[in-house]
Amino acid sequence: MPYHQFKCSECIPERLQHAVDKGVDEDLTSALPLGYLNTIPGTISERGCAYCGAKHVIGTPMKNVIHLSHGPVGCTYDTWQTKRYISDDGNFQLKYTFASDVKESNVVFGAEKMLKKNIIEAFKAFPQIHNMNIYSTCATALIGDDINAVAEEVMEEMPGKKIFVCNSPGFAGPSQSGGHHKINLQFLNQWVGTGEPEIYSKYVINYIGEYNIQGDQEIMRDYFYRMGIQILATFTGNGRFDDLRCLHKAHLNVLECARSAEYICDELRVRYGIPRMDIDGFGFEATADSLRKIGYFFGIEDKAEQIIAEEYARWKPELDWYAARLQGVKMCLWPGGSKLWHWAHMLKTEIGINVVSVYTKFGHQGDMEKGVSRCEPGALAIDDPNELEGLEAMYELKPDLIMTGKRPGEVAKKIRVPYLNVHGYHNGPYKGFEGWVRLARDIYNCVYSPAHSLVHLDISKDEIPTDKGFVTRQMLSDVNLSDEIKNSTELRECTSDYDPIPRLRKKLEENLYTFPDPETGEWRQVPLEKLKKNKVVDVE
Amino acid sequence: MDKNVAEEKMAQLEWYISKHCLWQYNSRGWDRLIQNERILTKTKQVLRGENAKDDDTTADRYYWSEAMSLAGAFKRYFPWITETSKDDIAQILDLLKERMDFTMVKGSLNQELIKQQY
Repeated sequence: MPYHQFKCSECIPERLQHAVDKGVDEDLTSALPLGYLNTIPGTISERGCAYCGAKHVIGTPMKNVIHLSHGPVGCTYDTWQTKRYISDDGNFQLKYTFASDVKESNVVFGAEKMLKKNIIEAFKAFPQIHNMNIYSTCATALIGDDINAVAEEVMEEMPGKKIFVCNSPGFAGPSQSGGHHKINLQFLNQWVGTGEPEIYSKYVINYIGEYNIQGDQEIMRDYFYRMGIQILATFTGNGRFDDLRCLHKAHLNVLECARSAEYICDELRVRYGIPRMDIDGFGFEATADSLRKIGYFFGIEDKAEQIIAEEYARWKPELDWYAARLQGVKMCLWPGGSKLWHWAHMLKTEIGINVVSVYTKFGHQGDMEKGVSRCEPGALAIDDPNELEGLEAMYELKPDLIMTGKRPGEVAKKIRVPYLNVHGYHNGPYKGFEGWVRLARDIYNCVYSPAHSLVHLDISKDEIPTDKGFVTRQMLSDVNLSDEIKNSTELRECTSDYDPIPRLRKKLEENLYTFPDPETGEWRQVPLEKLKKNKVVDVE
Repeated sequence: MDKNVAEEKMAQLEWYISKHCLWQYNSRGWDRLIQNERILTKTKQVLRGENAKDDDTTADRYYWSEAMSLAGAFKRYFPWITETSKDDIAQILDLLKERMDFTMVKGSLNQELIKQQY
């Protein structure tokens, strides 16, 4: 096994098996780090906890829901508003966060009465919201509060209100991934199957493991609607609580982030016979292949091909403008769990980026299998790195940028490596064809930022050039480009709107989509109200 | 087809799958074996011009969709495949299935594959 020994971790021998160098002749039977194990004492991990994984990653993107943490106020505050999982109905889930504000006296005497009071108070303060997710935390799990019993009492006293209880305290797993698992299965067990949706298309999917970061879901929704596909529910970005109760009624589960949501897909497959289809919504070829196979499933591959042709014609010249200028750029691709494998190969083939390292904070060995497969020989693969290992890797690999989250990103800045935030995004959405161009643009702006180049000067010792003034990104990026590319009339810079989501929402409001009737197959418009808020009837 | 030639061509197809496909990564070993069996068998049938649909269930339709997508990609990436005889395609795809079972399950270092529950 080609383990990578970090000098800084020689004093923590258990870390050795968590990093490998992918050699030319290595495959998954010879190069794979350990993963999803308890963080080793003495290493400063960048992981989140199981509560964070349940609430922050998966629970909170649900719209029209009061998200209440039963615990100290810090738990909810620290998982609030750090990821831009927007919704198309006013962003209630981003504007507000709720906590029962447990104090020392509650730990001694119990917090159930206070919790009940808080639930009722929250529902009364926001009478238009009928759904609530309650998340247990370390403190309230340890004192043994029966949150489910309290929720049942409130639901009896307040008819029409629905409460989902997520028991995933922070200590309930090695990382946030433990929380993903718990909330998947608990939501399925508590609420899936309790609603009967209106089916208005012959083609019905659930879109699983998609969190609508800066509008990712709405980009993909446009493609699905153009194919005439009804999205019964999205788990969970821009997803309605009532729609999610109907997950059992889809024909197909389209799974984007397998790391966070494969569990509910696998269970829906076992319990309800709904197939699981994993897709990649990042990159031109990957998105095209994904639409194509969904098209095959429903027998509408012609619709998929039409969208692919339209999107390539619209956006490919813009991607190629950036690809011409980003060839050979060295990147550490250090996201959380799934983007290392969603992106590694597409960054190489479509933008020309050389991914020199992949890492995952909370991924399992399955994620590393995908990541190691999709990066090129020579790459360093790290599981659950500590901060010193990250620094050592950057000093050694000398990347032109890293793509990661804000905690390691700020560390990178300190050693003058520019970073892009690929958790909450810099200027997303990054999904689909348009999104991939936006990511290429952000990488370009990051790598060739004239302002960033100044950080390499140390004013305490370096000579500051006074003969250089005005400089642009393109002056830096085009130095070695051929005239043919520089003067190309086909290639062009990104023309995506500052924020493309209002355009997509306007398109939805104009109700330009048609869907085939489930009985007759006749293509017709569906009332806008159904597209925005499908009818769901309670069932026992 | 000479075994070495077949193995060289199989390696090209394996490379494509490793870079582009996600269906081989289901989290349990028994699940991966089913995925390999159903999707690669149907891919072989599609490439040989045979019927690749077993029944009208959504499960079968799913495997067939993956196979159609994969067969199309193989033809785009590796033009030699359209000029390969049916027998040779069977030989290459059988080797591929054997290789995928080894890399993804039997020789895998992934310690989660043997867990019973999802």
